[in-house]
Amino acid sequence: MRERLIEILGKTAAPEAVAWLQQTVAEQEKNFQQRPFYYAFSGVSRRFDKKATTDAGDDQLASLAEAVPGFTVEDWDEFRLARVILLTVLAEQEKDIFLENLKALIGTADLREQVAIFSAFPLLPHPEALVEFATDGLRSNIIDIFDSICLNNPFASDNFTDEAWNQMVLKAIFITRPLYRIVGHGERTNLALAEAISDLAHERWAAGRMITPEAWRSCTNLLDERISGDFAQMAGSSEANDRSAAALVVCAADGKLDSLRDSLSNEIAAIQSGELTWHSLGQTMEEQLVRKSLT
Amino acid sequence: MRFFDSHVHMVSRTTDDYQRMAAAGVTAIIEPSFWQGQPRTEPGTFKDYFNSLIGFERFRASQFGIKHYCTIGLNPKEANNEKLAEAVLELMPLYICKEGVVGIGEIGYDDQTKAEEKYLIKQAELALEADLPIQIHTPHRDKKKGTIRTMDVLEDVGIDPAKVIIDHNNEETVKEVLDRGYWTAFTIYPHTKLGNQRMVELMLEYGGENIVIDSAADWGISDPLAVPKTAALMKERGISLEEIEQVTYHNPLKAYGQSGQVEESDWDDSEGIDPAALFEGNTLLRGGMDVETAMSQYTIE
Repeated sequence: MRERLIEILGKTAAPEAVAWLQQTVAEQEKNFQQRPFYYAFSGVSRRFDKKATTDAGDDQLASLAEAVPGFTVEDWDEFRLARVILLTVLAEQEKDIFLENLKALIGTADLREQVAIFSAFPLLPHPEALVEFATDGLRSNIIDIFDSICLNNPFASDNFTDEAWNQMVLKAIFITRPLYRIVGHGERTNLALAEAISDLAHERWAAGRMITPEAWRSCTNLLDERISGDFAQMAGSSEANDRSAAALVVCAADGKLDSLRDSLSNEIAAIQSGELTWHSLGQTMEEQLVRKSLT
Repeated sequence: MRFFDSHVHMVSRTTDDYQRMAAAGVTAIIEPSFWQGQPRTEPGTFKDYFNSLIGFERFRASQFGIKHYCTIGLNPKEANNEKLAEAVLELMPLYICKEGVVGIGEIGYDDQTKAEEKYLIKQAELALEADLPIQIHTPHRDKKKGTIRTMDVLEDVGIDPAKVIIDHNNEETVKEVLDRGYWTAFTIYPHTKLGNQRMVELMLEYGGENIVIDSAADWGISDPLAVPKTAALMKERGISLEEIEQVTYHNPLKAYGQSGQVEESDWDDSEGIDPAALFEGNTLLRGGMDVETAMSQYTIE
């Protein structure tokens, strides 16, 4: 894995910075030393271009995801990738040393360092000991830190309890994150989450506001009477994205919501043609959100 | 016009201050580590403080379009608690190489005790090891002697004066600090430090070379708009725009830019403000803040 990551970093980063990183990795691999490791981890900011992003090819991304399902470095900046590479060396140390140093690093990390540390979680050993760091990190009100755990990162889906998973998904809905980028979204569902989403929707409706239509994906196949009623409301919504979400749930509902099919015939046709998926709906929502923030 | 306030303690300030600063053209700031008004008794509180400087405060500033940098250090007051001081010195290596850490500071003397001197030296050595500028707090009491003693000690450690910013200067200290080749900073702080009319007189006498102006706004009666206000007063008193920009923007950038952790391209795409708007009290309002009112009275006594 490390070689593949270094190869991706080498595509864009300055050769002398990459050489420094490789030398540091070699030294630390041979003889792990705490203080030089700390200096190197934060000192990435002195070697790499703080504004540069990496540029992994599709085949490179595919090979990463094959090795660790759900793992990606897409759109990462150079600091993030360089630091994750250093953390793969820490990962090779004995459990006590690994955890002690990881704790020190998280405990003193700046924003970009925290993002890098949480991004590395799918590559690190002893995941059971890392869960608490991740759930703590999700309490951050700094979006980049929240996103580094919640989005495009398989760690939560693979390791969280239902309770922790539900809290993460609910917070993501609450602060309007692009849910289609949560690894495992729609696959990890449970009644408690579905009910909490329904409750949140009712609260918002009472206030004349909406929840992101993507949220309803977690209610698929958890259609008690009340949640079924919510979909009747969604199917009649004047918002196209609400109707799309309703149609996606209807099509996966094993006939339970067939009474809504007639009112959603256009959306269902789009699903059958492959044009409308949860992924495409998520992308549409995200684009609309970006446009809105620009105006 | 854009301003760089190289000394301001934002953890003690409100979001209103950030809005006013942004609207008045303060584009970048440095937040030095300092005393928080009440002595800390545990090293862990320093860790959390440093974390807030590199973490939440940086994030908070960014929400107002302001680039936030910091210096990391053990302040002289708390250096007198030696057990605490040792623990903080152990902690500092975790922070000093981080992105946006532009120096070791603010360090120096308060009561000019032996313990203060010990940790001034240790931190100067750390700055040398990490190749970072040093931000010096000069004492309130016995200032002139304390300032000279600080420079003597730094030179004994082998520090290059060009990598040191000596702050809180006044009419009594300015000449020797400039003559010895240090960046010479003045804090425009109402009542206890230096008003900006005195600052204008100093500028008229010494010019702008190696001079830096900051606010050091903190938890006391202080003014986060001190730098733009002083710029406005200088303009009114006929100091050239070039010289005003030199002391309120270019010089702090040059001095702390020696860290390699701050450069103009960090905020190149930010708009800055129209100097006409600032100096003629026109429409420098963005988002309906009361900056116009705040700026209309720009002398600081």
